[in-house]
Amino acid sequence: MEDYALRLDQVNKVFLSKVKGKGLRASLRSLARPDIRSVHAVRNLDLAVGRGELLAFIGPNGAGKSTTIKLITGILFPDSGKIDVLGLDPHRKRRELAFRIGTVFGQKSQLWFHLPPLDSFHLLGRVYDVPGRTLKERIDELVHVFEIEPLLHQPVRKLSLGERIRCEMAASLIHRPEILFLDEPTIGLDVVVRQRIRDLIRTMNREQGVTIFLTSHDVGDIEKLCRRAVVINGGEVVWDGTVKHLKYSLLNRRIIDLKSDGPIPLDIPGVRTIKATDYSAKLEVDLDTIRLEEAVQRIFASVSVQDINIANVPTEEIITRIYQDTEAGATPGTSSSSSSSSSSNSNSNSNSGSGAEPKGGRPCRA
Amino acid sequence: MKLVDTDLAKLLAQYVKLNLQAAMEYRTAFLTQVFGMMLNNGVFVVFWLIVYQHTPGDIAGWAFADVMFLWSLAALGFGLAHALMGNAFYLSRTIYNGELDVFLLQPKPVLPNLLWSRSIISGWGDVLYGILLFALTQPLDPLRVVAFLAFGGAFAVVFTAVRVIFHSLTFFFGNAEDFAQTAGELALTFSLYPGGVFEGATRWLLHSLIPVAFVAYLPARLFRAFDPGLLAIVLVADIAIVVLGFAVFARGLRRYESGNRIGTRL
Repeated sequence: MEDYALRLDQVNKVFLSKVKGKGLRASLRSLARPDIRSVHAVRNLDLAVGRGELLAFIGPNGAGKSTTIKLITGILFPDSGKIDVLGLDPHRKRRELAFRIGTVFGQKSQLWFHLPPLDSFHLLGRVYDVPGRTLKERIDELVHVFEIEPLLHQPVRKLSLGERIRCEMAASLIHRPEILFLDEPTIGLDVVVRQRIRDLIRTMNREQGVTIFLTSHDVGDIEKLCRRAVVINGGEVVWDGTVKHLKYSLLNRRIIDLKSDGPIPLDIPGVRTIKATDYSAKLEVDLDTIRLEEAVQRIFASVSVQDINIANVPTEEIITRIYQDTEAGATPGTSSSSSSSSSSNSNSNSNSGSGAEPKGGRPCRA
Repeated sequence: MKLVDTDLAKLLAQYVKLNLQAAMEYRTAFLTQVFGMMLNNGVFVVFWLIVYQHTPGDIAGWAFADVMFLWSLAALGFGLAHALMGNAFYLSRTIYNGELDVFLLQPKPVLPNLLWSRSIISGWGDVLYGILLFALTQPLDPLRVVAFLAFGGAFAVVFTAVRVIFHSLTFFFGNAEDFAQTAGELALTFSLYPGGVFEGATRWLLHSLIPVAFVAYLPARLFRAFDPGLLAIVLVADIAIVVLGFAVFARGLRRYESGNRIGTRL
C-alpha cells in the first residue's frame, strides 16, 4: 500500500465571476446583460503528499492555494479530477474525513470570541465525539505542549494574536488529526512568537507524527520548517522539490557584496551589477555562464578588494522570480540570459510525493 | 436508525450552554435583551385588550383568549427559533462571506451544527413571555400544556426551515438576505393575527410560500377542537417544509464558493 496522506490527480476547479466595467452605465449594462467569465482557480493539479511530511504549499495571492486546501478538505467540490485524502474522497466522505484532519486558518477562528479557550475546547470535544476522560487527558497534554495554562480561563477577545494562534492550534489538535492544514499560521505575529509557533509546528510533526500542509507567505516559515516546497501559480503546480534545492540550486546564482578603495569597473561575462556606488557593488553571478571561483578570481584581478561577501540568492527572491517567470510564460529556474534550465533541476526529491522536477510555467488564467 | 441522535442532542445542549455563557459575559446587555423583549411583547396584550373592549363579540370567529393563545404560541416558537437556531437569521451572510467553511470542516451535519452555533439572546425573553402568557390566559390541564409546548417546538423548527429555504437562495442568486428577512418578518407578523381575517390570495400565501397556517392557525384550531385529520395535515405539512429546507440547503451547498473574509466566532 502506498503511504500517501493525500493525492490529487488532474483536479480542476472553475469559478464563474461577473465582470463589470467602471461607472453607473456599466452597472446598468451588467444588470441587463451580465458578463460572466470563468476563472480557472485550479488547473490539472497533480500533487502527492506522503504521511509525516511537512510540506510548504506556496504561491502569490490568487494562485489557488486556498482553493486547493478547500478542495482537499471537502469544503469545495472539484469540477473534475480525483482527490484522495487518507484513502477517502473528501466530498463523499466529508464527515468521516473531518475526524481525521485538522485546520488552522490564521484569518478565521474556531474559538468563541467572548469565552475562554477551555470552553471552546470542550465544545470541540463534543463536535468530534471525544469521550469525557479522553478529552480531559488530551486538553492537559495540549495545554502542556502549547504552554497555554495561563490563557485557558481568559476570554479569547483578551488574548494577544500570538496567544490566540497557540490556542487555535491546540483546538485543531483536540481530536488527534492525522493531517493538519495550516493556512498562514504566522500572519501578523512578531518574530519571537513566530519562532515559537514554528517550534510547535515542528514538534507536532516530529513527535506526534502529524502530516503538515503549510501555506505561508513568510519565507522564514518555509526555510525553517519544511523539507519540501510546492509552488503554485495560476492554479498549476509550477515547482515541486526540496527547499534546499529551491534555495541553493534553482536559479544557480550567487550574490557578491563587494567593497573596494576605488571605483569598481567590471566587465565580466556572467557577472551582472545589481547596484553600485563608487566604492561598493552588489553583483549577481550566473553560474551557468561562469564558475564562481573564476568569477571571484577575475574580480580580484580587476579591483582592489577591501571586503567581500558571497551569498545565495535570498529564498524570497527566488520565489518571487518563480512567480514572475510563470506569469511571463518562462520556465521557472531559467534566466533571461540562459536558454536552458539549471542542470541541478534534475535533482530528485528525497521525499515521497510527486517528484521534484520543476514544471514549465505558462500563462494559465482563463 | 436511532429516532434521536444522542450525540447531536448533546451537541445542541453544549451549544445552548455555551451561547448562554457567552451572552452572560455582558450581564446588563443580557438582562436588557431578555426582559426588554418581554416588556415589548407585553405592550401588545394591552393593544388587543383595547381592541376587544371596543369590538362586540369575536373577530372573525377568534375570541380574546384565542388571540392570546396565538400570541403565546408565536412567542414561544419564535423565541425558541431565535434562542436555539439563531444562525438561521444570519444564514445569507454566512454563505456570502464564506463562513460555512468552519462547519464543513467539522464531522457533524452542516445545517444543524450551523443553526445551533449562534443564539439570539432576546429569544429567551420571547420564550419566557410565551409561557407566562399561556399560563395566565389558558386553562392549564397537562395535555394542553404538553400540546402547547409541542406546537411551540414545531413552530420553531418550521419557522427556521422557512428561513433556511429563503436564505439558501443566496447560494443561487448571490445575496437573498433582504428577501429572506422580509419573508421572515412577514411570517412572524401574520402569525400574530387571527387567521380568519385573511382571505383570497393572502390566505393562499399563508398556506404555501409563508406557511404560517400550519404552525399557528391550524394548531390554534386544534386547540379549540381536536380533530385527528387536521392534526395529520399539520404534521405532514410541517415535515414537508422541514424536509424542503434541508433539501434546498443541500442543493445550494454544492454551489458554495467559500471566501477569504477575516473573521471570528461571536
